Amino acid sequence: MSDDDHQSLKAWGRRSYVPATTTRDGDRYVRVSRGMVLSPRRIAGWLALLALFVAVPDIASLSSSIQQRVLHQGVLFGLAAVGLNVLLRHTKLVSFGHAAFFGTGAYTAAVLASQFDVTSMLLLLAAATLVGTLMAGVIGFLSLRHTGLYFSLLTLAFGQLLYAIAQGQSYLGGSDGLPVRPGEANRATLFGVELSADVYSVVVYYLTVLVVVLALFVMWRVVNSPFGNALDAIGQDRTRAQFVGIPVRRYVLAAFVISGIYGGVAGGMYGLVQQHVRPEATLYFLRSGEILFMAILGGFGTLVGPLVGGVVLVFLQDVGRDFTNYFDALTGIVLLLLVFGFPRGIVGSLQSGSRLRAAVSTFSDDPAIVGEWATEAWTSLWAAVGRARRNLRMLVLGVR
Amino acid sequence: MVELANFAIHTLNGIQYGFILFLIASGLTIILGILDVLNLAHGELYAVGAYVAFSVFGYVSGAFANPEGFVGLATFLVLSLLAAVVAAAIMVPLGLLLEAVFLRPLYGRDEVYQLVLTFGLLLILKDMNKLIWGPLPVRAGDIYSGINRIPAAEFVGLTFPTFKLVIIAVGAVVVVGLFYFFNRTKLGRIIRATAIDREMATAIGVSTDRVFTLVFAMGAFFAGFAGAMALPQSNASLEMGANPLVLSFVIIVIGGLGSLRGAFVGAMIVGVLSRWAVWQYPPAEIAAPFAIMALILLVKPNGLFGTWGETA
Repeated sequence: MSDDDHQSLKAWGRRSYVPATTTRDGDRYVRVSRGMVLSPRRIAGWLALLALFVAVPDIASLSSSIQQRVLHQGVLFGLAAVGLNVLLRHTKLVSFGHAAFFGTGAYTAAVLASQFDVTSMLLLLAAATLVGTLMAGVIGFLSLRHTGLYFSLLTLAFGQLLYAIAQGQSYLGGSDGLPVRPGEANRATLFGVELSADVYSVVVYYLTVLVVVLALFVMWRVVNSPFGNALDAIGQDRTRAQFVGIPVRRYVLAAFVISGIYGGVAGGMYGLVQQHVRPEATLYFLRSGEILFMAILGGFGTLVGPLVGGVVLVFLQDVGRDFTNYFDALTGIVLLLLVFGFPRGIVGSLQSGSRLRAAVSTFSDDPAIVGEWATEAWTSLWAAVGRARRNLRMLVLGVR
Repeated sequence: MVELANFAIHTLNGIQYGFILFLIASGLTIILGILDVLNLAHGELYAVGAYVAFSVFGYVSGAFANPEGFVGLATFLVLSLLAAVVAAAIMVPLGLLLEAVFLRPLYGRDEVYQLVLTFGLLLILKDMNKLIWGPLPVRAGDIYSGINRIPAAEFVGLTFPTFKLVIIAVGAVVVVGLFYFFNRTKLGRIIRATAIDREMATAIGVSTDRVFTLVFAMGAFFAGFAGAMALPQSNASLEMGANPLVLSFVIIVIGGLGSLRGAFVGAMIVGVLSRWAVWQYPPAEIAAPFAIMALILLVKPNGLFGTWGETA
């Protein structure tokens, strides 16, 4: 344990909320909160990102190609992906059923709004979170008996079970889904204030911004707590973690429930934004897959990566729709590029020490290297095709 | 008595559906058992098989616009089966190409990337179908109209479409063939040995590379064959791959990951139960397989037959 850790351990009990500057290795750092020490450059970066995030409605009003609705939806799916990332990054569990929590949240909001005439947005959101959490507890309890592929397939199956229920029950609107606000007379309220239609979308957006910033901060705290470290240990080696004395099952279940909470919040917000919830759009297994791929696309080794991945993936699908008939293939190609070109995801690749960074720096040293890369890619592709041909000949004619 | 007859008909329907599901799930399960890859694009291979069979048989059936008499109908039936085999054979090079170009660099990397990759392939294959056959479902009913003219089989007071009986028969042949292949032939045993212990198999001189390619090609073949066999009763559409894929997941989880016998039993359970559900309480159709799966896993956490290898 280094001196630094000792210092922070001693400081554990003390509380100081005043930002202060410290010096480490000759560079100046700012202590934003307990344990969060950032360089001024990073703070500037985060503030710029936050400003961009807040300014989205204004940017969207400038250009017709960027739609606030699309970005908003991306942010919400991304929030669910941030939750999923707890499992993926720390406990190394691949959940393939996170649409279950997203959909549960969305449907809770929809049922309360349309069947029980609840108008308070905060109440709807709280209920969505609560029910999402309960659902995560149940599904987690049942599927965390397994690890690896079994776990993935089990979560997938539970997700599909919920999808089937939502499809089959006329109470839940069947495949048409449910409206989140019944009729025009029944306006949504925030703190008892009725919101008119034109204010509504802006208010919901800023509510989302608030929720997302809060959620990211909480996630940061969770990840950098002893609990988060224990999850890392579990992800590296379960048996070892058990021996060290970590209550593995309880911790993993807690992580699962936390990730479910994020799904529930995101789903509830989604219900408020879209004002109509369909099983296909919220609970289908492809949505689960997308949430997983958002996390990977954005970079599952990072905190904000999944959020970025969510925005990018949803944006890609929506913009692709305008620009080609084959928008699915466009997403597919991006995923292939992700696997072969930048496996650490968008945000992960921008960090120092990644392959992409290295490639960019070689490129700026010597732009002619592009030709080399192209021939390299072509040769390996050609070799692979040749191998396929050889194998085909072998299958038909046998080994000679 | 009517109830009993109904019950028998729906059970037979379920068995027929179960064989189709087994054809899909068997490919998925052997790929999973040996390559350790969960192939999300498997459902799309099924869809491609159906589309290819549509084109192949559409080309052939022009000569048989109105099959008449026993000989004509029998030829029509045989030709439709042959078209299915041809369509499945076309899937083999596709499978080889996918394995050699895309999957091979990923062995040994984090399994998450295999999911991303196969999902990307799923999307690309889906749009390839869209590019070649158009966005609307292709109607298979017209070119397979001869099949409806084949008089329904009658036995012990039941009438049942002959083509469905043919599917059951073909499925049974494939099941027996697969078990024979994996239990009795040298190649099958080599594949099983690779599934049990990859390193050991390499040490005694098995080329695991070739085994992987072969297994993936087999999986693609059976997925395509299933698509071609299911085509005459339905349409080929862009979304047709999703449902069988998810049901195959259920089946292989019920049976035990990578277990061929488990896949067979699971396919029968899922097929029959979902047809019973359609008959008795249609809303339960989608939910029933998942409910069964959850129940079985609570009782037997590793599926009915555990993992594959030691026994086929």
